[in-house]
Amino acid sequence: MAGEDYILKVKDLEKTYPNGVKALKGVSFDVKRGEFLVIIGLSGSGKSTLLRCLNRLHDPTAGEVLFNEKDIAHVKGQEVKEVRQRMAMIFQHFNLIERHSVIKNVLTGALSRTSTLKSLMGMFAKTETKKAKEYLDLVGIGDKAYTRADQLSGGQQQRVAIARALTQAPEVLLADEPVASLDPATCHTVMDYLRKVNRELGLTIICNLHFLSLVKEYADRVIALKDGKLVYEGDPKEIDEAWFERIYGEGAKEVHVN
Amino acid sequence: MGTHLIKRVTFDGINFGFLFLVFLLGIFTPNEEELLNLSKNSLVALGCVVLGVVFSLIINKMGIKTLGELLFAPPHKKTVTSTPVIWYRTFWGIQTAGTVLLMSVLGYFVTEVNVREVLDIENIKNVLRLIEQLATPNWEVLPDVVWKAIQSVFIAFMATLIAVPIAFLLSFVSAKNIMGTTPVGFVIYMMARTLFNIMRSIEPIMWAIIFAIWVRFGPFAGMLALLVHSIASLSKQYSEIVECVDEGPIEGIESTGAGFLQTIWFAVVPQIVLPYISFTIYRWDINVRMATIIGFVGGGGVGELLLLYQRQSLWNEVGVVILVIAIIVWLMDNFSAYVREAIK
Ligand SMILES: Nc1ncnc2c1ncn2[C@@H]1O[C@H](COP(=O)(O)OP(=O)(O)OP(=O)(O)O)[C@@H](O)[C@H]1O
Ligand SMILES: [Mg+2]
Repeated sequence: MAGEDYILKVKDLEKTYPNGVKALKGVSFDVKRGEFLVIIGLSGSGKSTLLRCLNRLHDPTAGEVLFNEKDIAHVKGQEVKEVRQRMAMIFQHFNLIERHSVIKNVLTGALSRTSTLKSLMGMFAKTETKKAKEYLDLVGIGDKAYTRADQLSGGQQQRVAIARALTQAPEVLLADEPVASLDPATCHTVMDYLRKVNRELGLTIICNLHFLSLVKEYADRVIALKDGKLVYEGDPKEIDEAWFERIYGEGAKEVHVN
Repeated sequence: MGTHLIKRVTFDGINFGFLFLVFLLGIFTPNEEELLNLSKNSLVALGCVVLGVVFSLIINKMGIKTLGELLFAPPHKKTVTSTPVIWYRTFWGIQTAGTVLLMSVLGYFVTEVNVREVLDIENIKNVLRLIEQLATPNWEVLPDVVWKAIQSVFIAFMATLIAVPIAFLLSFVSAKNIMGTTPVGFVIYMMARTLFNIMRSIEPIMWAIIFAIWVRFGPFAGMLALLVHSIASLSKQYSEIVECVDEGPIEGIESTGAGFLQTIWFAVVPQIVLPYISFTIYRWDINVRMATIIGFVGGGGVGELLLLYQRQSLWNEVGVVILVIAIIVWLMDNFSAYVREAIK
């Protein structure tokens, strides 16, 4: 046994958008199986871009993403869909289908293994519906299954999104600022469910966060981005004033102190 | 800088050219035969426009602001003068007023305005007699008219019904946010857009003329004419709805590993159904109006009877047709407004 078990190994990942913006300038890091990894960094530092390059919502310009030792950075077609299915994602604005019921939203997590024809006719397998309901129970909103998604509060919608992600039967859960549009109390509820999923289901979580207090509370390990480059990797408890200044730039200290 | 100059010079050139042309018209007072000599007159007109362009360049060089400069000057050049100048003290103000004045004088002759005809007592008597006849409808033709009016409604219904699924599919092809992501997609998008614009710029009455030859006179020709027009119009309107959809759900569904069709069906379609229904009912409403007149060129429906009776000066019968058309249009208008309000 050669040391740690890594689920993801990212090597020199680069992303240049068609408009010429270099959002990632060679980022390398590893993700241990089952850990809760948090990514921090200023607005525009490339956090969202990084997550979308991992699950191939975006195409990386260069570099490698070894997912269980297989490079998926440049796979095409059907393989891209498989990568997306195995690395589920939740978003700042939940990205649910507002007019559909909660259960219908959660079932879309099963689209990748349902034939196009059957899914267009709404014919999901019985086992899928059963699974979907179990996941809704897991995030504590089993009673809301037949409510329209837009009738729920922000925190409840994010929990629906988590249930949808779980229905994909993923190995990794990517979370792009999952609590940035929620109030502080709801914030903790959602983060607690992410931790529950991490600990009870053993799902690897990679999460972008803004608040340092949340980082210290939930992260096993932290990486920090600045201008598309990795500037810190380590234990959240070791982020001191000096590191903070390096990540967020000069002057950020005062804001932190206030 | 460049485009601003071209726009200004084109605008002023045509404007001044027009003024010169009217001036020449006043001097030479050509007779009818000379007026119809298109090739010679186009040359003269072109000469005037060139002269206008030169004039515009000179005037603006002298620091006098023409209307073209006022309209097309880039933002940073649109300086606000400290003392506001009354419009008739400015060059562009006089340019505008002069143009409008000359246009109306010319229009007076071209449209053969004749106030005396309007006030002529014999003419007024004639029209009163016509109104009297229209107002005493010949109810004997009512069954014919109602039957043909029902035909009009169905012509419109079939055209709309068949257009909906076709336009539904085409609306994705002509939506920039769906197709604009790849070069091939963009080319298809541009081609579809252009085709719809051409199809829409041809009025249904023209299509009816074409189809009346193709499939013979009758309601089928009218239905096809409205169908072609509806496909183009609905595709355009539908695709504008598709272009306004929220990208969030699309990303959400894509992130599950769903395919292209699944993404469209689950993320896009729920966002567009209600506006689609609203536009569709409105289209049916418009089609009913058009179906009542399309009979004039052989497209079937109640318009056929209107043409028939009008040709024979059967005004009591025309009165029935007008009444029935008014009622149908009024009913459709209310129905469509009611449904669209209800699903908002
Ligand atoms: N689709 C895109 N096309 C072009 N440039 C983009 C696109 N998305 C992001 N960018 C640019 O890439 C850079 C990184 O953006 P990204 O969204 O990854 O940052 P972020 O760290 O997630 O910021 P935030 O905290 O504001 O979400 C920014 O400069 C942004 O303007
Ligand atoms: Mg972001």
